[in-house]
Amino acid sequence: MLYKSTYNELLKIAYKPRSYIGLGGIVVIIAIILFAMKVDGSFYISLITGQFEQSLLFEGTILNGNLIAYIIIQMLIIHVPLLIAFVTGDLVSGESAMGTIRLLLTKPISRSTILMSKFLASCIYTLIVILCLALMSFVLSKILFDTGDLMVLKSDGLIVFQEGDISWRFFYGFAIAFLSLVTVATLALTLSCFSENSIGPIVTTMGIILLFTIIGSMDVPIFDAIRPILFTTHMAAWRYFFDEPLNTTSIVYSISILLIHIVLLLSIAFYKFNKKDILS
Amino acid sequence: MPIFKTNSFILLIILMTSNLLGQKPRELLNKVQIKLNKANNYKVDIKIKVDLPYISMLPIHTKLYFKQKNQLKIETKSIAILPKQGFLQLAMILNDTVNYSAIFQSNEIINEIKTSLINLIPNNDTSDIILAKLWIDATKQVIIKTQITTKSSGTIKSEYIYGTQLSYGLPDIIKFTVDVKKFKIPKALAADINTSKSKKVEKKSGEITVTLKNYEINKGIPNSVFDKAR
Repeated sequence: MLYKSTYNELLKIAYKPRSYIGLGGIVVIIAIILFAMKVDGSFYISLITGQFEQSLLFEGTILNGNLIAYIIIQMLIIHVPLLIAFVTGDLVSGESAMGTIRLLLTKPISRSTILMSKFLASCIYTLIVILCLALMSFVLSKILFDTGDLMVLKSDGLIVFQEGDISWRFFYGFAIAFLSLVTVATLALTLSCFSENSIGPIVTTMGIILLFTIIGSMDVPIFDAIRPILFTTHMAAWRYFFDEPLNTTSIVYSISILLIHIVLLLSIAFYKFNKKDILS
Repeated sequence: MPIFKTNSFILLIILMTSNLLGQKPRELLNKVQIKLNKANNYKVDIKIKVDLPYISMLPIHTKLYFKQKNQLKIETKSIAILPKQGFLQLAMILNDTVNYSAIFQSNEIINEIKTSLINLIPNNDTSDIILAKLWIDATKQVIIKTQITTKSSGTIKSEYIYGTQLSYGLPDIIKFTVDVKKFKIPKALAADINTSKSKKVEKKSGEITVTLKNYEINKGIPNSVFDKAR
């Protein structure tokens, strides 16, 4: 029953034009970045190596597919939550707004199963978005720019990863990025249970992400205590896989925080959806 | 004008003293140069190990091609980091007998090797090099250590360890010491999660060690090797 219900939810997502806005946006933005890097990538490289070029000489191909993929992910991962919330924030409230929720809940299937199927459908949609991002950034960049070592700029210096040591980092990086986007999807879905229109949950989700990001980026001691438990702090956890040595404690902590958020938000969503009065 | 006169006088005194002591720095440099010039071209496997405070990378293995007088190519798909005043600058200074004055400074013992310290000073102020100090093993006619100070790149020290190719004056290991205190990464460009917790780097200099193995000397290298775009 859950499988069929999830399939139905996926069909609903597939038939909504807004579902393709995110994917289209990713394709267009990546195409623009690839074009800009192909034409003027050396300028970006000089920003990375400029600090060192007074004394050091860099040999080899720095501007390669791996670096482009890293740049794309770094740029896009901030904006992808908006695209995810755009679809998942509509999953319950959209049905309330259209009045189809009444029909949906008359089916011989529990409310919890319906909500779980919506959650699974939003996870699958998020996975498709992440796969699209991975395919466009990692694969297309390598085709256009060839492969090579990856040079990552950190505030305390440069880290150069050898070519054979990169793919697994991207794989796990995408995996943890998926988890952080599922957190956003769950937040939007939960807020969607509280609303009768689509705009409210989407805007609120973005507002919460914006607020938490600002709190997280402010170097003020008063926020030190709450910063580590905000999910937005851990949305950039994919970068931990581009540290040397690997900070496994931070990775496990980030995964735990994101999972706790998903479970908590989903619990609230289940409670609300099961108690929800259908007035539309 | 008086400053110019004083400088000229000091230079004259140093030159006279070095001659009185029986050291002929240019002659010694010529001997080193002749030895180095015996290798008209060579190809060698190199391992570059970078140990700099702000840079983290594993050692890389690649090939280096050299052809007299100043053609150099490092064939690598990997990212390699070398000091700017790496391999070519020393050869260029040694070959240039017109623009640099060689002055003997003293005899010094480095790693139980008796060396002659020779200072190379540019004859005009347009040169990028301010001062080049060369510690030369006069017996084996090889460079043991250098310290080159330039306007553009600061000071870089190098130490040379010889083995298999001593007869050509080619080292098996070159250890560069690079000054890194000027490095400052703009936070806006850095990809960090916790920017407030960035590590404090206290080390002010770092080392780049180049290990050279499997020399193939004077076997001929086509010019096309050096023509390829990097």
